[in-house]
Amino acid sequence: MRISTSMIFDTGVANINKQWSQLLHLQQQVASGRRILTPSDDPVAAARALEVTQSSDILTQYATNQQNATSALGLAETQLTSLNDMFARLKELTVQAGNATLSASDRQSIAFELRARFDELLGLANAADGQGQYLFSGFMGSTKPFAGTVDQLNAVASQEITYDGDDGQRRLQVSATRMLEVSDAGTDVFMRIKNGNGYFATNYAGTNNGSGIIDIGNVTDPAAWNALADKNLSINFTSATTYDIVDSTSTVIASGTYQSGVPIAIPAGGASVIITGAPASGDTFTIEPSSSQSVFKTLANLIGALESGGSSAVESAQYSSEIGFALANFDRANDNILRVRSMIGSRMNELESLDSVNQDLQLQYQQTLSNLQDLDYAKAISDLTRKQTDLQAAQQSFMKISQLSLFNYF
Amino acid sequence: MSIFSVALTGLNAAQVGILTTNHNIANTSTEGYNRQQIIQSTNTPMFTGAGYIGQGTNVLTVRRIYDQQLNEQVLAASTGAAEMDSYLAQIGQIDNLLADPSAGLTPALSSFFSAVQEMAANPASIPARQGMLSASQALVARFQSIDQRMTEIRSGVNAMVTSEVTAINSYAQQIAEINERIILAQAAGPNQPPNDLLDQRDQLVAELNTKIRATTITQSDGTYSVFIGNGQPLVIGTLPYSMKAVAAPDDPERIVVALTSPNGSSVYMPESMLTGGSLGGLIAFRSQSLDDAQNALGRIALTLAQNFNDQHQLGQDLDGDLGGNYFDTSLMGATIRSNANNVAPAGTVTVAISDYGALTTSDYRLTSNGGGNYTLVRLSDNAVLVNNAALPATIDGMAISVAGGPAANNSYLIQPTRGGATNLALAIGNPRDIAVAAPIRTSAALANTGTGGISAGTVNPSLPLDANLRQTVTITFTSATTYDVTGTGTGLPATGLTYTPGDDITYNGWTIQINGAPAANDVFTIERNSAGVADNRNGVLLGALQTKSTMEGGTANYLSAYSTIVAQIGNKAREVEITGQAQQSLLEQAQSTRDQLSGVNLDEEAANLLRYQQAYQAAAKVISIATTLFDEILALGR
Repeated sequence: MRISTSMIFDTGVANINKQWSQLLHLQQQVASGRRILTPSDDPVAAARALEVTQSSDILTQYATNQQNATSALGLAETQLTSLNDMFARLKELTVQAGNATLSASDRQSIAFELRARFDELLGLANAADGQGQYLFSGFMGSTKPFAGTVDQLNAVASQEITYDGDDGQRRLQVSATRMLEVSDAGTDVFMRIKNGNGYFATNYAGTNNGSGIIDIGNVTDPAAWNALADKNLSINFTSATTYDIVDSTSTVIASGTYQSGVPIAIPAGGASVIITGAPASGDTFTIEPSSSQSVFKTLANLIGALESGGSSAVESAQYSSEIGFALANFDRANDNILRVRSMIGSRMNELESLDSVNQDLQLQYQQTLSNLQDLDYAKAISDLTRKQTDLQAAQQSFMKISQLSLFNYF
Repeated sequence: MSIFSVALTGLNAAQVGILTTNHNIANTSTEGYNRQQIIQSTNTPMFTGAGYIGQGTNVLTVRRIYDQQLNEQVLAASTGAAEMDSYLAQIGQIDNLLADPSAGLTPALSSFFSAVQEMAANPASIPARQGMLSASQALVARFQSIDQRMTEIRSGVNAMVTSEVTAINSYAQQIAEINERIILAQAAGPNQPPNDLLDQRDQLVAELNTKIRATTITQSDGTYSVFIGNGQPLVIGTLPYSMKAVAAPDDPERIVVALTSPNGSSVYMPESMLTGGSLGGLIAFRSQSLDDAQNALGRIALTLAQNFNDQHQLGQDLDGDLGGNYFDTSLMGATIRSNANNVAPAGTVTVAISDYGALTTSDYRLTSNGGGNYTLVRLSDNAVLVNNAALPATIDGMAISVAGGPAANNSYLIQPTRGGATNLALAIGNPRDIAVAAPIRTSAALANTGTGGISAGTVNPSLPLDANLRQTVTITFTSATTYDVTGTGTGLPATGLTYTPGDDITYNGWTIQINGAPAANDVFTIERNSAGVADNRNGVLLGALQTKSTMEGGTANYLSAYSTIVAQIGNKAREVEITGQAQQSLLEQAQSTRDQLSGVNLDEEAANLLRYQQAYQAAAKVISIATTLFDEILALGR
């Protein structure tokens, strides 16, 4: 083969150039630690890396949302724990108030403490987070949810605490498919509590002249009670020993002979109430389906009963009934708080398990990303060394060859 | 003949040999030089009685060692390599830009949606809202800076096309001039080739080929005719044609090439004809990669802005007002360019984007055929979408209509997505105006005796919103299975409706569900979400847009659409790089094959130098001997 002198130079330079560009590419890879310097190095992996990065970023955001959710739930949980403690004290005070030997001044002092508890309860219900957002006001975060005083609530029998919030439940996206509730509306925590025994609430007429005391009643067959068409009943005493049970249209649906402490069955209702003491002829006791009664109203009613305190037999009977109602209603309120707390607890549990799922997933994403774009250093460095040797060989051989010339011997 | 004269022919021939060798040595590094050789032949012998006596030598010609076919192989490989080089230099810029871990779109898109989520977690927090606005500004700026960079690359391509055209014109001019000199030289010595002129011309053709693929035909008078594209003449004999870089009549932002004949008329060269060389690389880059990438980026901006606006308008801001536009899309519509050659009546083309999911990244050409019929061509694949039919029509997500009855042959360039990224802007500046809350809320009356619960309610995603959306509507159960709906709104009041747990109940543009067992007289209310500052329902839906597949007919989210561009550009860059490398080695091979034949080898020249030197010395010796012989004769007379 004939060789031209320029070929020796052109080919030599071209080869050295090629070596240089490969060496530079390797050096850039080693310096940056990235296998893919530009998408053209591996277009598929580069595009995939973008998507995995987004997935990983979203996961990081979910982790932040989970922290936000945990802190919001934790805050509510703290309030509810205090509330739980307070209920224990409220029940203790109620039981104490039921002691027949209490003097009027004793009742006054219990009422005094209960008034303080009312304010504490209002404080808990109006709790706000670090940013001044109220915990129990639904969507209306800047609106103080509860307002009212004991006297206000006791002025009119049907007066309820004022709730200025709404029913909204704040939610956060804590995983791709889960929107977690991070707040509970004040209505759900403090107000939507069925009074009485949960099916019906009993009461006495204010005009009763006897000393009959009605309990909160008992439902033995909820299906029968639910099926009962007319649930607004009255027990009218036609004499000191006989009574009629009438429905809302004043139709007598049953009659009976009264014995103190013997359950009075509600016809076809699967339920009964117990009246004790000595009701007088013409006394009336009512049974109504349970309705929502706020824990504030329950507390105010109790304070009202403690403060109104007369000592006649009739007044004592009414007082005893009120204590019974209050105990039952506090129990129901406590149950409701426990229900909310357990919901919060299960949400927090869910957050914990989501967090570990999240971390596993994040690890996988990082692994994938690393596989996609990170450099295999061992291979790269060995390649670099080899290329370096190649380049040196090319340079040296070129220098040697290019010096060969016949003219050297002229 | 004498010994002297025979020796003289030897001397002369050796001298020409040394001169030619000298010429070769001097031009070892001259680009395009083909080595030269003398062709020596014996003189006509003299007939004598003793037979034919040789009369020495003469040099017939100096020829260049040249193979037309090998040269053409080099030209073909070099024009291909130059095209790939210039393509690669351009696409490399976008390739680096798109996937840059800090300057690409991905980080901005990611932090934007992070900020949306962060704000959704703290809907009442002004700092979180401000954070979202700032991240939105950054996203807008990023879209614009990437688009700006692409526009710069486009102007760069325009400028380079202009300078390539100038260079091509200069080569055409020079080739025409050398053609003229070759005619003159041939006239002086018809049988002697003007080797160095031929080399120079071949070199000019080779350099021309690095600009654009050109073919040559040798005419009978020895001139080259040079053609480009599909046989468009660039040089005919001594007449150079000239190319012009001019703004395209249908797109003033696009510099295209027109060919001007010596008589002054000019025709536009279709881009498909301008192949090979750096000009071909630039043109191919622009039409295959740049247009597509810029349109695809615009499409993401356009779709993101529109989806975000649509969702934002379903919400309610911190002041209780309904959400407005989050992004300002007023300037983001399709670009419609009327061809500069359109005649009156010009007509007006209107393009409204009706389905963002169906948009492509192509541009379109609409041509009026007169008589109210039109032809619409999608330029990416030259598909005829409207074939001589009437408009309006909805195609590829665009509702296209024409007013004003344009004259036949008027044409319009429609770029639905080109301006998307650059015209993106934020419509709101007050953090309170971000519509994070839903405009309605629901509640169940406390006095309800049943166990029925009402869902939080959603706003139906159809715009414009129902005027009565936030009117208070009351659902009252008349029994456990029937209910009445009262309030202001279409179809209200409605009475005696049958209750099915969990079924959608829709009025006034909202939808709610009631679950459980409501009892008679239970009341549920849907009303305006006044003071709902901690409500993040719409914010969460805004955040969910990040992973919602709203593009490419509902198969891609914003990032996957973007990574498609990255992959396309990356693949193209890789393809160009590999093709370029293949062309380069093809070129090296062709060059070395040619150089094996035509290149100068200094050792060979050194040997030739010795050969001719010795021939010269020998011939000189003959003269010296002849002189001695003559002296012998003269001595006889002494």
